[in-house]
Amino acid sequence: MTTRLIDESLFEDVEDVEDIENVENRAFDDGHAPRLAGARCSGCGTVVFPRQDSCPRCADGAMSTRVLPVSGRVWSWTLQAFPPKPPYRPPTGGHQPYLVGYVDLGEVLVEALLAVPRADIRIGLPVRLTTVPAYWDEDGTEVVTFAFHPERDGER
Amino acid sequence: MSRSDDVYVVGCGMHPFGRDESVTGMDMAERAVREALADAGVAWEDIGYAAGGSDVSGKPDTLVGRLGLTGVPFVNVQNGCATGASTVLAVANALRAGEATLGLAVGFDKHERGAFHVSAARYGLGDWYAETGMMLTTQFFALKTQRYLYEHGLSERALAMVAARAFRNGAHHPLAWRRKPLTEREILDSAEVSPPLTQYMFCSPGQGAAALVLALGDRAFDLCERPVKLASLAFRTRRFGSFEVFSPWLPPGPHHSPSVDAADAAFRTAEVRPTDVQVAQLQDTDSGSELIHLAETGLCGHGEQEELLAGGATDPTGRIPVNTDGGCLAGGEPVGASGLRQFHEVVRQLQGRAPGVQVPGAPRVGFTHVYGAPGISACSVLTI
Ligand SMILES: [Zn+2]
Repeated sequence: MTTRLIDESLFEDVEDVEDIENVENRAFDDGHAPRLAGARCSGCGTVVFPRQDSCPRCADGAMSTRVLPVSGRVWSWTLQAFPPKPPYRPPTGGHQPYLVGYVDLGEVLVEALLAVPRADIRIGLPVRLTTVPAYWDEDGTEVVTFAFHPERDGER
Repeated sequence: MSRSDDVYVVGCGMHPFGRDESVTGMDMAERAVREALADAGVAWEDIGYAAGGSDVSGKPDTLVGRLGLTGVPFVNVQNGCATGASTVLAVANALRAGEATLGLAVGFDKHERGAFHVSAARYGLGDWYAETGMMLTTQFFALKTQRYLYEHGLSERALAMVAARAFRNGAHHPLAWRRKPLTEREILDSAEVSPPLTQYMFCSPGQGAAALVLALGDRAFDLCERPVKLASLAFRTRRFGSFEVFSPWLPPGPHHSPSVDAADAAFRTAEVRPTDVQVAQLQDTDSGSELIHLAETGLCGHGEQEELLAGGATDPTGRIPVNTDGGCLAGGEPVGASGLRQFHEVVRQLQGRAPGVQVPGAPRVGFTHVYGAPGISACSVLTI
């Protein structure tokens, strides 16, 4: 089975990154797992996701790749009860209600799928970056996207 | 500023909102315009400047083919939820600049059923955002509301109370779409869409049209017994840090809304305080939006909404009546017409001839507020 990331530009393989400012975030215990990559403004420090070439806040700064933290807390959440219209691509087996939300990573809040049991979801829940299947390409390739799941004991 | 520089509403007209397959957007617009002209006691030939707006239902200036080829300047506006306010602004500014003494603003739309279609590319986003099921306006409203309830200690009952009041008011309004009152329990128990919001806490895309005739200075008093003064109209776009639809990321906060800027500017220009407002229209795309807008516009403090609603303060007989015609929740949201519906309702309330429930005690200060994607807001103060 082959697997691909839904959009390479959202991610960075940490080993390939030379110009990372936030070195402390390099310690990712899953080895080569992809990390979310945004951009940071050298002028005002604003962190955006995905990457963009200009700063939405100031006119002065240059934007450089910023590998985002892997851990954060649920800032807001909701459930997608009804199946969205295309271009949404449902997973194998069709649409099942799913959770989405914003995760507070400290320097930025990132919107993401939340791989969390409905009974456990709450604002403030500690969560960690993971990947989940999004859909299957026509050629059988599994397409994965980023998500956050509950922080497991011992990971913090 | 002397009276001669002020702009007044001297006539208004509206096609019923809802669903009616027998009419087009243009048909509805024509009817609203003719009604507004008749209300003002003027003819189309008298109009010296016009502006029209529609999101999806045609080029407004082609209405001249139906109304009369008088050569009148006619500006088309496409400004999302602020379309109606932008038409009024265009006409009011033209009158003040001396282009004409009598102008017309019209807005209309007829949308397909169901959620609005979206395209990731149109918003400058990658396909992944829509493909993974994150590009839905209903999710945005739910996420914003969820966070707001959490930060300000409000419960889901506040959301139900907003919708129940909207349908109660709509039930008495001849131009509203949803005319059946619903209990808070029925609203809370309706189909889950995106918690904390349920089916009956959302408005639907619908159809409708509304039009205003505006006049400058003394001309207004020649034409109309009770002209309503456009004391202010402020339009703002978002600044850095506002929490807007289709945002893959947000800064850590605080999250400023363009509604705060627009309302503040409208109140300052009109030299009126939020506590002076006696009848208000707030964008209620969903129950949560109205809750948030009540505080963002300054009509109450953050966190005070639930108590206000429970005490009936936003009912037509309350201290600050809100959406006396049922708002978007009862009227649906034809994007181009929605803002002018607000003006129509407030003008008729101030003139003491509300189509639905009349606010008692002859209100003299009215307020309108629209908010839309991606981060625009327009607010007005109307006085009599
Ligand atoms: Zn910057």
